[in-house]
Amino acid sequence: MNRRPLSFRMTLLLLAVLLAAGTFALPGCSDNPYPPGESAGNVLYTSLLDDPKTLDPTIAYSAEDDVVICLLYSSYFHYNFLKRDPFVLEPDLGATMPRQETTFYAVQEKGRSVRKPGEKWIFSINHGLHFQNDPCFPGGKGREVTAADFLFAFRRMADPTAGFPLLDSVEDKILGMQEYVDYCAQRHKQRLGMDYDKPIAGLQLDPKDPYTFSIVLQKPYPQLRYIMAMHFTAPQAREAVLRYGSDLARHPVGCGPFQLSEYHHKQSLVLTASPYRPPLTYPTEGMPGDAAAGLLQDAGKPVPLVNKIVFTVIREPVTAWNLFLQGYLDAAAVSQTNYQQVMSHPGELSPEMKRKGIKLYRSVAADLFYFFFNMEDPTFGGYTPQKRKLRQAISLAVDSQAYIDLLYLGLGKQAQFAIPPSIFGYDPTYRNPYRQYNVARARQLLAEAGYPGGIDPKTGNRLTLYFDNYFTTANFRQIFGLFKKQMDAIGVRVVSRTYRYNVYQDKINNGEIQFSYYGWSCDYPDPENFLFLLYGPNKGPGPNYARYANPEYDRLFVQVRSMEDTPARAALIRRMRAIVQEDCPWICEQHSQVYAITHAWLFNIKSHPIALDTAIYRRVDGPQRARLQAAWNRPNYAPAVGLALFLIVGSLPALSVIHHRRNRRVRRKEEVAG
Amino acid sequence: MLWYIVRRLLYAVPILVGVSLLTFLIFYIAVSPQQLARRNLSAKNPTPQQIHEWLAEHGYDRPMPVQFAHHLEELFLLRFGKSDTQGAEPIWESIRQRWKPSFMLTSMIFVAELITAICFALVVAYFRGTYVDYWGTLLCVLLMSIVYMVYIIAGQYLFGKILKYFPLAGWGRGLEAWKFVLLPMLVGVIVSLGSSVRLYRTFMLDEINQDYVRTARAKGVSERAILFVHVLKNAAIPILTTSVQLIPALFLGNLLLEQFFDIPGLGNFLVDAIESQDFAVVRAMVFLGTLVTIVGYILTDISYALVDPRVRLE
Repeated sequence: MNRRPLSFRMTLLLLAVLLAAGTFALPGCSDNPYPPGESAGNVLYTSLLDDPKTLDPTIAYSAEDDVVICLLYSSYFHYNFLKRDPFVLEPDLGATMPRQETTFYAVQEKGRSVRKPGEKWIFSINHGLHFQNDPCFPGGKGREVTAADFLFAFRRMADPTAGFPLLDSVEDKILGMQEYVDYCAQRHKQRLGMDYDKPIAGLQLDPKDPYTFSIVLQKPYPQLRYIMAMHFTAPQAREAVLRYGSDLARHPVGCGPFQLSEYHHKQSLVLTASPYRPPLTYPTEGMPGDAAAGLLQDAGKPVPLVNKIVFTVIREPVTAWNLFLQGYLDAAAVSQTNYQQVMSHPGELSPEMKRKGIKLYRSVAADLFYFFFNMEDPTFGGYTPQKRKLRQAISLAVDSQAYIDLLYLGLGKQAQFAIPPSIFGYDPTYRNPYRQYNVARARQLLAEAGYPGGIDPKTGNRLTLYFDNYFTTANFRQIFGLFKKQMDAIGVRVVSRTYRYNVYQDKINNGEIQFSYYGWSCDYPDPENFLFLLYGPNKGPGPNYARYANPEYDRLFVQVRSMEDTPARAALIRRMRAIVQEDCPWICEQHSQVYAITHAWLFNIKSHPIALDTAIYRRVDGPQRARLQAAWNRPNYAPAVGLALFLIVGSLPALSVIHHRRNRRVRRKEEVAG
Repeated sequence: MLWYIVRRLLYAVPILVGVSLLTFLIFYIAVSPQQLARRNLSAKNPTPQQIHEWLAEHGYDRPMPVQFAHHLEELFLLRFGKSDTQGAEPIWESIRQRWKPSFMLTSMIFVAELITAICFALVVAYFRGTYVDYWGTLLCVLLMSIVYMVYIIAGQYLFGKILKYFPLAGWGRGLEAWKFVLLPMLVGVIVSLGSSVRLYRTFMLDEINQDYVRTARAKGVSERAILFVHVLKNAAIPILTTSVQLIPALFLGNLLLEQFFDIPGLGNFLVDAIESQDFAVVRAMVFLGTLVTIVGYILTDISYALVDPRVRLE
């Protein structure tokens, strides 16, 4: 059978129709990334920059991990959502505040048993708490949480394969913990599994009460209360750990307000309110101004206030920002990328944002960014008056406000000392004399240090400061550029030495750097968590990167770290501050602040620099969101119609070409026939 | 032909060893095992003991030749093991979960682009020497001159943000995935359309100038019959063979599209692994990529022999 080829005109027409159909079909699609109808529900839509590395509460130690884990695992304490200055710890799974008693324990010293005083903290947990349902439990039904589950979490800290990040902080405090850690490490070397049954003297269960446990400390450790608010100490089900092992990272079994319903790697996590959530309520008291800000409208209501949280992994900040503008994310951060669009003036939203009903919030972090000298460096280190003056001169030449204005959108608080606002020991009236930008005074001190005009008299050349770093981002390069410019003003030459991160870290640990930049965000709101960064014994490979070692500072630190927040503690901190001020191992730059914006349908926003479970207090007006989403995202048909018309009109001359060729062929046939 | 395939597969062995060795060396130059350990340990300042433990657990504490030999053995046995990152899951499990989004995206781009490019190439070839040809060629050159990222950003901006036809990024389960794949597919097709139309137009014009076409014209065969019956059939041979080699790679996904559209496919998996310096995943994916490329070339040769009777595989 002779197949006739498709007419070319037909083909062309078909192609045009297909293209036009495709063009017209486009508007049939929706740009809503969520299932139809879901936006009107009681759901919170938020984003993550990356997939959580792990959801194992013993291991996790990054913002992406913690923000999810804190919703899945509750701990003995949590922070009051509204109260600040100071932050207030409240029982979460705990029934009461822990009772502290003095106790005595026996240790072997020189072959003799010696009784030593210690502290016993007695914790009582709520009755009727349950783990979420999971196949690891008999019948798949989550069993009741008991005191043993809290102590099991402490045992997991000793697991050498887990790599518990705060092991240094707890192993020497809890009686018998160090021995247990060593025992577990030994078993690991022998390729034996964990022994979770070996008794630990400092972790005690009450034989008469399954809801009470005690922790015996061999040295005062008031920070234990904060540790008990972190997910590391959240109760863990032994059944889950034994069943899932390292897969616990992707298979959380907690007793928190939410449970993980869906986990699509690198895509999204869906958390739904747990039927077994702890009986928590929205705070009934706040700070002055909270009621006026509408933060007490839900006072006393059971939390969480939303039924579901959808975390979408969005790696590109631009994409997250556009999704926010479309109404598909409930909140967004303000960065250098979108600042011009968000703000018309510092602190004021642009008319476009106001028209959309967007609300602006300022959140203050409990952190510190600082430059530091290597105190063992032959040129800039040391404790002689000349060396101090040299560092003080450089400190005076650094204008922190310039960094804040140029790099951080004018947000941030100039740091005078290590401790940030809202942490005990912070003094708003304190002005570090060497942190007041004063180039004339800097030059004078530089001359007194033996470098008049920044010239090294030994060589006759400009004094050179090596800025060791691993900067690869534009932001960090800007920090270096600004610092270099500021040092030029006093005649000091700055040279950047950039290393790969690993090399940089080795150099820090070995004290082979001269000057660098670092940031620290606290784990808990205690001054100890900042002051320890300058404690002598913590120098490399510890967190004392400046390798600062002042015996008087160290002596005071040992006292301060074990004290409660009292005027005496504040007085000691002031003395430590005075020492650091004169030694000047650091140039404190700023305590960071950020702007955040939310849509009109999201309520109960108050940033908390420490707590990560604040999502349980959020309230959403779903119907309003659905209405606005629909209004903001109506497809624009005009360009599609225009494109289709253009294609059709553009094809018309082609038809005449076909017609012309056909006539030519017909003429040729006629000529042949003729 | 069987012996030919066996021989080609044997040739693949030194290629795979070489690629693995290069990956191994490059990775070691760029990232030391200690750095890997630091990145993957959750402590802010991991102790030397913790770093040592991590290295021992992941086998990075052994001499380099021993490590390489072990890695090679595991790769050839397709035992990819676990990722180096925290909470790692078996790499095969990740591949199993991620090949579907990748394949869905790349296969749709492949089919749509192939059909569209052939259609446009036919049109341009038919109208050779006319305004359609000139403007078409110019458009193709323009399309080829623009950087991939511009298409992605412009596509997201125009079709997602301004016209609001598609979600900007993301992925859904089951049928929900459909709406997320359209925009990256459209971008993928537009990106490769310019070069494909140019290439296929060349194939068509090569055939149009052949003696058999002149003979057909002399015999009075119509232009459309020449184009659709004779030219298209013969031009399909190079089109087929250039396309066949791409088919195995469809499973590996598209690095840029998956990254920017947050598609949880294998392309994204590899980019993540490179960013997080996950050597276990990188070496597995590079090995798999090499294997798939070699298979693609073998398939190309076979398809040549199948469609062109002049070619014999010996």
